[in-house]
Amino acid sequence: MDALSYLSVPPGIGMEENFFSLDDILLSHERLPCRTESAFPRLGFLEKSSDSRDIPEGTKMEMPLWLAKGLYEKKRRVLSMELPKVYREGWRTVFGADPAVVDLQKMGPYYYGLGSQMLHFDSPENPEIANTILQTFIGRFRRTMDSSQNAYNEDTSALVERLDCLERSLFKSGQSGLNSFQLWEKGRSSHLTASSLVINYRKRKITDLQA
Amino acid sequence: MDPAEVEFLAEKEMVKIIPNFSLDKIYLIGGDLGPFNPGLPVEVPVWLALNLKQRQKCRIVPPEWMDTDKLEEIREQERKLETFTPIPSPYYMELTKLLLNHAADNIPKADEIRTLVKDIWDTRVAKLRLSADSFISQQEAHAQLDNLTLMEINTTRSFLLDSLNYMYKLRSNLQPGRSKDY
Repeated sequence: MDALSYLSVPPGIGMEENFFSLDDILLSHERLPCRTESAFPRLGFLEKSSDSRDIPEGTKMEMPLWLAKGLYEKKRRVLSMELPKVYREGWRTVFGADPAVVDLQKMGPYYYGLGSQMLHFDSPENPEIANTILQTFIGRFRRTMDSSQNAYNEDTSALVERLDCLERSLFKSGQSGLNSFQLWEKGRSSHLTASSLVINYRKRKITDLQA
Repeated sequence: MDPAEVEFLAEKEMVKIIPNFSLDKIYLIGGDLGPFNPGLPVEVPVWLALNLKQRQKCRIVPPEWMDTDKLEEIREQERKLETFTPIPSPYYMELTKLLLNHAADNIPKADEIRTLVKDIWDTRVAKLRLSADSFISQQEAHAQLDNLTLMEINTTRSFLLDSLNYMYKLRSNLQPGRSKDY
């Protein structure tokens, strides 16, 4: 059994994020296109393209998700969000046609997570976005399952490179199930090995000290 | 769960041995065993049988289902049906591995048996994956699979549960109206 030296927190459920999850933290760094609805005085340094001291109303700029989520409010129109390319109509039909072919790593490695977060910014296309994400996952599931359960002792980088982060963690758990079964079948599961922590720390052995 | 734990559970199954020593009845917490008389068959749990075999104190009699004809029949039936056929022992994979590793000389046609059991295993695991795939792609809430053994369930458990978790997360997106609590 692998024992990690820290407790890994999984990403959050649905539209919520887990505060401590590393995946969620990295995902909230993605930049999203948005449009300011009110002026931001003296914050001109945030926008790289213009040199003015403040950001006038109606500028189009890019903001990271964590900032956009904090500033977004329906009543006081501070920001209005636009959907990134991948969640728009054009790409949605591509995903609908054949989800298994798309390279999700290139489309932003957090396709599912970011898609779930985009639903916070009430856009009229929300139900379709949610539906597309779900159908994409279901369509790609078969491939992920087959490749993870059948690739034993091979170089899996070609299989993994088109998967997004959520699918990668699924792939890892499928591989670990397969590996532990194969190890058992070979009879090596009760083979005692030194813990990786001990090897890495290069513990001083008493035999070396006495010599 | 580890495969090693499943193997540990499998070692409680009873198997017939023919000892070459004699011993009175022994009273263990789990039950009584014996008495052991040389040349007379007696039923013991697998863990004891393997231990005695390693010390060369007995000869293991293969269970009735561990026979090439029976296994071929089971394999053919497994390939024909779409559901899982009932198999003679809920721990067939572990027992095959244990008995064939330690007592191959007591079991006739050991290699053939190993191949047959591997075929049965592959067919069943393929059916399991197919049914898991249809379960997810049709987003059913309930699936019933009869006649699955613990070892087969164990290999797919972590993957299936994780993917069902993710599906639940993505499905909860479809119901908006969660309050933003910052």
